Amino acid sequence: MKLREHEAKMVIREFGIPVPAGFLIRTAAELPAHLDALGDKIVLKAQVDVGGRGKAGGILMADRKSAVETAEELFRKEIKGLPVKEILAEQRLDIQHEYYLSITVDRASKQPLILFTEEGGVDIEITAKENPSAIRRVIANPLMRDLPPFMLRELAGKAPKEIMPIINKLYRVFLEKDALLAEINPLVTTPLGIFAADAKIIVDDNALGRQGFTVNRDLTERECEAEKHGFSYVELDGAIGVIGNGAGLTMSTLDLIEFYGGKAANFLDVGGGAESERVRHAVRLVASVPTVRVIVVNLLGGITKCDEVARGIIDADISQKVIVRLAGTNEAEGRRLLTEKGYEMLPTMDLVVKKAVEVTR
Amino acid sequence: MIYGDKKTGILVQGATGKQGEFHIGLMNNYAREVGGRGVVAGVTPGKGGLQVHGVPVYNTVKEAMGEHDIGASVIFVPAGAAADAIMEEANAGIETIVCITEHIPVHDTMKAIAYATMQGSAVIGPNCPGLLSPGEVKMGIMPAGLFSRGNVGVISRSGTLTYEVVDELTRAGIGQSTVVGIGGDPVIGQTFVDVLKEFENDPQTKAVVLIGEVGGNLEEEGAKCTDLPIVAYIAGISAPPDKRMGHAGAIVEGGEGDARSKIARLKKNGVPVASRPSEIPDMVRKLFCGC
Repeated sequence: MKLREHEAKMVIREFGIPVPAGFLIRTAAELPAHLDALGDKIVLKAQVDVGGRGKAGGILMADRKSAVETAEELFRKEIKGLPVKEILAEQRLDIQHEYYLSITVDRASKQPLILFTEEGGVDIEITAKENPSAIRRVIANPLMRDLPPFMLRELAGKAPKEIMPIINKLYRVFLEKDALLAEINPLVTTPLGIFAADAKIIVDDNALGRQGFTVNRDLTERECEAEKHGFSYVELDGAIGVIGNGAGLTMSTLDLIEFYGGKAANFLDVGGGAESERVRHAVRLVASVPTVRVIVVNLLGGITKCDEVARGIIDADISQKVIVRLAGTNEAEGRRLLTEKGYEMLPTMDLVVKKAVEVTR
Repeated sequence: MIYGDKKTGILVQGATGKQGEFHIGLMNNYAREVGGRGVVAGVTPGKGGLQVHGVPVYNTVKEAMGEHDIGASVIFVPAGAAADAIMEEANAGIETIVCITEHIPVHDTMKAIAYATMQGSAVIGPNCPGLLSPGEVKMGIMPAGLFSRGNVGVISRSGTLTYEVVDELTRAGIGQSTVVGIGGDPVIGQTFVDVLKEFENDPQTKAVVLIGEVGGNLEEEGAKCTDLPIVAYIAGISAPPDKRMGHAGAIVEGGEGDARSKIARLKKNGVPVASRPSEIPDMVRKLFCGC
């Protein structure tokens, strides 16, 4: 789950990384109380969960006089379709140089990867493509709580030496906050010292509980509903609903729909050992998506009981057509139950998908 | 076969839990069928002295190691205890550690794997179905009925999709040497590179089916490092960016790890890529006849 900018900044401040003076406001009327602390030059940043917020007009500059009016203007805006409910009002920094610092999980080495470049501020992906040697990379051992000084020297290079403790502090944030990504872009030098002008933290969804989060805000309403039942669910925009067991098989079913010229409405992985109750919930959930005209059920596995699955499908009793591919224990009984109620059961995933694509044509 | 054979004694951590108990039963049924040793000991802290399907349960891995010859382990403990279980087994000197557990925080996995690597253990998973060498040994939860013995190795990030492919291979008369589910998490112990290296040293394995998915680039990196003939399949060509497709590791991030670019890189390295699972058997057959 991605933390909002003001949350990420609060976290890194706790770990001793300097951030600009800033206040989260929900109405423009809250701003005057903070103006003394913010000083003369102010930046107003919409706290919306979209990337490319600056380019979309979500960041506005102001001074003491224009601040309230500018905040009102920003609250009236929509940023990439999202209303602005919160603004982070910050002291505007007098930036001398911008750096980029990030820590991620490196799949290849199975360890934290720290990236630092003296060419911050711009899009890091562009730097990575056009000038890859400008990005310094160090792989750390996750069993060490601190980065050894030689790694910090390697990363910082000719940057001011005050950057080194900041790199280590962000590494601590990364470890202790279960981060998949901890990023400061830009990290800036100013006459008043070094500051994190922006911060981004993504917390591992599997660690939200121990990090004190009760809900995953990245999920849509239907995704939340799915999570309650233990399903993995992703919404797409086609007409063919998909229910599978196992992430790989379900993804592969989606791909097969595309292969045969159709479009999937969703991804739903019911997980292992699907019982009738779970299957019923899954079918109802997918059927509730307005674009869904037909549902493909593709379940395979040694311990999946086909008669249970069949009962779940029948109990869901939905208006859309359901086409089923089932393989596992009690397959014959499952087929008997489904055929009796007029459902179509086919032996391979190619056949169910082809059929579903035909139905939506 | 790789990572163990008939003679490998297996330890199960989380032996007295619902999953552990159920799968000890299935693993030992398989061991009986093929004349292997199967699960020889279980571990659940505080439950030492119990028996599960006739298998003695111990409080610690070291205790179990003192009583039995153990070469591999399978972990079924809950996510919060899994990293500890991996480290306890690595510390006790178990060579192959298979971790079935799903939803382990990535930082726990990173630490446990770093420690296990220092101890010289190979970790398979987490969030994986384990491995099965037909006619030899089953370590994990794969449904044995679909498998047949032969010369094709299979490496996969998935569970049920692996069964789908194995089923297709078996129906086409193509047997398997070892089928390894390496896990769906972003950080896993043995990756494609490691397993391919094992297959290279295995005289039984003549070709490999590599089943990957969106996220990362370890399929391509693995395929680059081997001389074995490979057929690949990558799931997730229709996966939208920035969405986790069921597996914690199946995500297209920052414009990287999407299926089309993975497939393109594999093909560039001369690896044939199936566009759907049902094409795999014919493509494997072509590898063997060289046509």
